[in-house]
Formats: sequence, C-alpha cells, structure tokens
Amino acid sequence: MKIINPSPKMNRRSFVKKVLNGTIAGSLYLVWPMGSESLEIPEQIPGIRGREYDIHNQEFAFIVDITRCIGCGSCCVADKREYNVPDGNFRTWVERYVKGFSDEVYVDCPNGGLDGYQHPRKDITEKVRDTFFVPKLCNMCREAPCVQVCPVGATFKSPDGFVLVDEKRCVGCAYCIQACPYSARFLHPVKKVAQKCTWCYHRIRKGLLPACVQVCPTGARKFGSMKDETSEVYKILKGPGVLTVLKKEMGTFPSLYYEGARREVI
Amino acid sequence: MDLSYRMRLLIVLISIGVLAGGGLVVKRLLIPDSFGVYGPYRADAIVEAALVPIRHGTNASCFKCHPYEANIHKNGRHHTISCEFCHGTYADHVKNGKKTGTLPVKKGKEITTLCLRCHNTEIKARKEKVIKTVAMPDHLKDQNVKITHNCNQCHHVHAPLKYIIRAKQITGLMEAGS
Amino acid sequence: MDTAYSFAAMPISNYVFPNDLHVHWSMMIVLYPYITGLVDGAFIIAALYYLFDIKTLRPVARFSLLFALAFLCCATLPLLLHLGRPERNLNMLLTPSPTSAMAGFGYIYAVSMGVLVFIVLFVYRPDLVELRVTSKGWLQFLYRAMTFDSIDLSEDALVLDKKIIRFLVGIGIPIAVVLHGYVGFIFGGVKANPTWSTPLMPVIFLFSACVSGICAIILAYIVIRKIKGRTIDHRCIKTCIKTLTLFFILAFAFEMLEVFSHSYLRTGYHHMVEGLLNGPLADSFWFWQVKIGSVIPLIILGVMGIFNIKDRLYDFMAAVVSTILLLQVFLMRWNVVIGGQLMSKSARGYTEFHPEWFGKEGILAVIIVMVIPFIILFVFSRIFPFWTTGNETDV
Repeated sequence: MKIINPSPKMNRRSFVKKVLNGTIAGSLYLVWPMGSESLEIPEQIPGIRGREYDIHNQEFAFIVDITRCIGCGSCCVADKREYNVPDGNFRTWVERYVKGFSDEVYVDCPNGGLDGYQHPRKDITEKVRDTFFVPKLCNMCREAPCVQVCPVGATFKSPDGFVLVDEKRCVGCAYCIQACPYSARFLHPVKKVAQKCTWCYHRIRKGLLPACVQVCPTGARKFGSMKDETSEVYKILKGPGVLTVLKKEMGTFPSLYYEGARREVI
Repeated sequence: MDLSYRMRLLIVLISIGVLAGGGLVVKRLLIPDSFGVYGPYRADAIVEAALVPIRHGTNASCFKCHPYEANIHKNGRHHTISCEFCHGTYADHVKNGKKTGTLPVKKGKEITTLCLRCHNTEIKARKEKVIKTVAMPDHLKDQNVKITHNCNQCHHVHAPLKYIIRAKQITGLMEAGS
Repeated sequence: MDTAYSFAAMPISNYVFPNDLHVHWSMMIVLYPYITGLVDGAFIIAALYYLFDIKTLRPVARFSLLFALAFLCCATLPLLLHLGRPERNLNMLLTPSPTSAMAGFGYIYAVSMGVLVFIVLFVYRPDLVELRVTSKGWLQFLYRAMTFDSIDLSEDALVLDKKIIRFLVGIGIPIAVVLHGYVGFIFGGVKANPTWSTPLMPVIFLFSACVSGICAIILAYIVIRKIKGRTIDHRCIKTCIKTLTLFFILAFAFEMLEVFSHSYLRTGYHHMVEGLLNGPLADSFWFWQVKIGSVIPLIILGVMGIFNIKDRLYDFMAAVVSTILLLQVFLMRWNVVIGGQLMSKSARGYTEFHPEWFGKEGILAVIIVMVIPFIILFVFSRIFPFWTTGNETDV
C-alpha cells in the first residue's frame, strides 16, 4: 500500500501548515499517527488510501435502515468504546418505538441502548400494533444549526461535509447543544467541551468504516462514498427507495438518511 | 498642562480610537494560524480530527493472528458479527504489533445473555428475514434439552449452526456437504 | 372526541432523548438576562430624564446610571461561571463567528460599558470637579482622571457636557436595547426549542427588562432613603410607577399573547408546550409567575393609578409592587431558560431540574453574584454622590 509521507525534514505540524497555507495545492494528505498498524487493516472505503485526499471533492452518505435494526446495541457499545464516551452521554443511541392500536406511541431508550433490549416493555396495557428500533446519531446537517450558533467557530462544517468540533477552541457555552434539534450533542463532563458523533471522521480518513457501521451485524447502518458508484449507499440513493430525514421542517437538510422510518419517528 | 476642556475631550476621543485600533491589531495577532483557510474556523482542527487514533480495528485485523477462530467465524452464520463487540477493542489488545492486554471471553450465563441481545423473540421488532429469533425457555423445551443449558452448549458461538449441521449429517437428516 | 384521537393529538410518552436529561443552561443563564435586564431598565429611567426631559425623575436619574453601571460590571460574571472553559472566554472576541448571535456579545458588551461609563463621567462632572478640589491623595488622582484633569465648569463647558450627555444617552438607548434584546434573540433564535423560538422573545425580554430595572430603582431609592432617614420624592415615585405600569402591561400582554395565541392555534407546538406549562411548570409559571407575580401587581398598579392614595401609603405600595415584580421577572427568566429546557427535543417528554447549592452554578454562587453589584454600588457611593445636594425635591 502506498502511503504518502512528508519528507523526513518536515515534522507533521509544519507539514500540515504547509498544506493549509496552500503550498500543497488544496489537498490534505494524512500522516498516520500509529505506525503502519491501521494500514494493515484492509481498506473498507475504496478511494481514500494511497491518493491525495481532495477535501473539496468528497461526498459521503450515511443511511440507517430501520427495517433491519434489531436493537442489539452493538453500535452503541462500539461507539462508547471507540471514544471512551463518558457515562450518561451519547454520540449514538438506539430508541425503541412501540405503537399501540390507539395510535399512542411509546418510546424508550434505557441507557441509550448500551445494554441492548433484553425484555419487552411491560407497562403497555393496550394491544401493540407495531414495534421497531431507531438508531440515532449526528445528522451531519448541510445547514447545521450548531455551526450557525457556535460563537467562536469551534463547530464547523468541513469542506468534505462533516460537522466537526474543534476541542481546542470550544468555550463550552453549550449553545450548540441547545441548537441541535436532534440532541446529538453533549458537554464532555471532564473536558468541558461540546462533543458529538463525527461519523468516525478519523476512521473514514484512514479508509475505514465508522465503528458503528463496522460492528452492525445486520447492515442496518450503511456508510460509503458517493464518489464510488459501486458503494451500497450510492446504489440506494440512486434507486427508487423511499428515504426520509429527521425533522425535515427544521430546515437543516440532514445528510443522514433513514430507510423505512415511520412517521412517528422524531 | 494647560489645555482647554474641548482639547482634552478630543484627546480622550483619540485615545479611545487608538485603544480600539490597538485591540484590533492584538486580535489579529492572536487568531490561530490556520483560522479562515476554509471558513471561519481553524483548518488544523480537521487534521486533528483525522489524526485521532482508531480504537476499533476490523475483523480482518483480528483474523490475522487468530487463524483458527477466523476460519470458523468467516464460514459461519455469524460472519457479520464484529469480533470486537463481544471481546473488546483492538486498541486494548494490540499496540504497535505487540500484544498489550488480554481481551475477555464470555462464559456461562453471560453467553446466553449476549445471544438473547439479538435473538430474543419477545422483542417484536426483529424480522424473520433479518434474524432468526427464539423464545426462551420454549426453545430449550422444544429441543428436549435441560432448561439450564447455555446457548453455546449446542451452538458454536462463532458459527451457530456448525455443530447442528454436523449432527444432522451424522444422523442422516442432512446429506454431507449440503 | 374519542380517546384514540386525543391520544394521537398528544403523543407524550415521557420519552426524553438521552442527551436531554441534563439541563445545560442552568441558574447562571437565568441570572445573566436578569442582570442585563436590571441594567436596561435602570438605563431607561435615566434616559427618560436626560433625553426625554421627564423632569420629575431627576432624584433618581443619576442614581439609576450608577445602578446600571454597578450591575453591568457584573453582567459577565454569570457567563464566566457558566462557561465550561472560562479561560477561553476571549475566543469570543478573537474569532467571533459571523453567523452566531452569541458572538456579538463581547463587542456589544464592551460598547455599552464604554458608553455608560462616559455618561456617568459627564453627568457627574460638576460634582467630581468639586470633589477633586476637596480630596487628597489617591482619591484626588482618581478624580483628576475622571474629570479628564480639567476643572473647567464654565457655562460653555457645561453646555457642551449637556450636548455630549444627550448624544451618549441617545446612542445608549439602542445599545441598551441591543444588549438585552440580543439576549432574548439568543433564545428566540433556537429553532430546536419550541418554547424559545419565537420572534416575540426579544420583545418579551426587553419589556420585562424595563419592568425589573424600574422596580429595582424604585425599591433601591425608597430603601436607601428610608435607611438614611431622608425624604422620599413622592412625585418621582409616582412617575416611576406610571412608567412601570406602562411597561408591565406591555410585558405581561406579550407574555400572555405568546401562550394564548398558541393555545388557540392548537398546533403541534401547542400540545408540547401545554404539557410543559401544565406539567413541570404548573407551579412556577401559572401560580407564581402569572397569578402571584403578574395579576396581583396589575391589581395593585390599577388601584394606584385610579384611586387617590395618601403619599405614604402610595410609596409603600410602590415598594411592595416593585418587590413582587422583581420576583416575577426572575421567575419569567427561570421559566423561559430552565423551563424551556425541561422539554426534550423528542417532543415526547420532560426532564427535571434540581438546583444544586454549592456548585459554580449553584444557589450560593447565584447569591454571591447578586451581592457583588451592591458592593460595587457601595464603593460608587464613596466616589460619586448618589443624590443631588441642596433641595432634592426641586425640579
């Protein structure tokens, strides 16, 4: 595998600076921080490794197929482990919806789905019409309210379409947490900065799938590059299937799509 | 000094202007280097986000050193399950090609609990086409085994139908090779 | 209406998004708009005198400027206590995001501070010049600095001062409106939260700010004068109460308009907010803020406006109504800031908030932050004479 390495004289910081200042035209190479280890893992997203990462010419899509989600909570566990997410805060979680014949919707999400769903709900007295699981994560809005309201530019939308948090500049005002219609954000209790799901940006840039996608046993979570016409997400988005987004009326234009989401899903 | 009142006020006004201007100069100096390369944010933050070390590998990274398990896992019905979900993350096990920690292996009742996380029929949201589910303890009764049995006493955890198929082949319920 | 329909209309299963269980904006964010509101209201009193020539307000005009300044000095305290990383607060000034309402804070605050300081200096200049002559040591140095080292009290200079004051108060009003209206806008601009996202929010905040500021001035004036054993200017109190009545009617009308128009429209928004106001906020909103905090003062203010009441009783009622309204505005801030966050963005449930005692955003910290402006005010009283000397009731 070809890794693009900076010249040995250049340390990473100055290299990155050079890239950013435009000496290396508009592209962002990546230098692997943990030896070649992560590169020994076969690439999962084709077209990332071994070539220039043109940050302005990328498009990724995330699709959650709720008809395939079985509520095992693998994604939640993987997510917590990948980031050491502090207890009580969630980058991703899985909700359980139960719909009664009266049209009443019962939703619960004990411990964010981390322990899975071992038992059915016992507190529902009426006859159940339908039940399903809904995984939630950052919607990567194209018009992200969190980016709009961040007073210091610590939350931003990168040219490749990811809403990221600059933990070195975040002042911890929590305005973005208020602004997110999906409640995907939280304030890290120790670092005191805002955090949220990044679709595992650090994995994607190494050609790997997001941790939650990678561990999903049923393929309910799908991720891929829209530049790759063979990818599953490309085929789904190109196809006739009905895809919806959450809280469309918020005008946030999420790039997270749901397949098979019922109207009760908020 | 013998300045007129108006003159003094003018000096005050100019000083405010100078202070504000000075403030703006200081502001410019204190803005981080890569701020504004792509937009009103620090472009270095993108690089930092990309450089965060990964903690989960993939199944391929586990299979490299565990060929025996890999062979079973890859050929069984559980091939879509991530090794790391049951055993823990790659980063807790290997660093720079060297083993740094032992990952847990589930035992006894833990295994049943783990299996039922996905395979419990009681949770109605699990569709036939996605996953095969069982009701407990009905399944144990149906199969005429002890009610205290753990799942792994019949099902290989990495390839749940491995023993079942083999048993069927031996008893002639199934042709070998099918 | 059959039950099935009513269930469908109100899909509340008390499901709270896992990240919504925690209330992120707690008491310090209640306190911050409360403090800027006091600044605003007090400034309005001064503006009525200095810009709109309402002469009866003369006894409190200068005091209200110092009162506003004392509270403005502390306006950033609750924010710093609230920030997760207070040491990075200057990021707000260094890299203000052009799209964020909050990013304007540093600049709006700095400008309003500057304007208010200069208004105070020019208003007090004749007194400061006199004090400069009689004082010694570092105090004299302070007075010299505050008078721009000039003792020019000629007719010409005083006329110039007056013009400058009018100009500064003139630009001070929009700045004060922006300083506080923007706080309302920060809430009003959060589309994710249905109780906040209304264009009425800045308006409601502004009027209630005027209410709280005027009340604070009335109360402080009466209390300080009583303690000092000096006379209370009844005509001044009367003008204040009339102004207060006007602002309070506007504030209360807008607060209720927001609730009633939505309960009449009966949109999805209403069903969520109805559950909030009748559920977790039933006590603090309907009972304390509306019944005790708004209806009773309205009746008292009505009585004060319609009937002829003896001066002493009138002043007493003024103090009572001011106290209640100060609480009302605090409750209103509470119900907006904390109450708004009790409703999960799942639109299906409500979380809880229990104030802590000792944290940096706890009750004790709130009390300390509210005491500091009074300490500053006391220090000011040693430097600036609060009340005009001579015949105080003189117009």
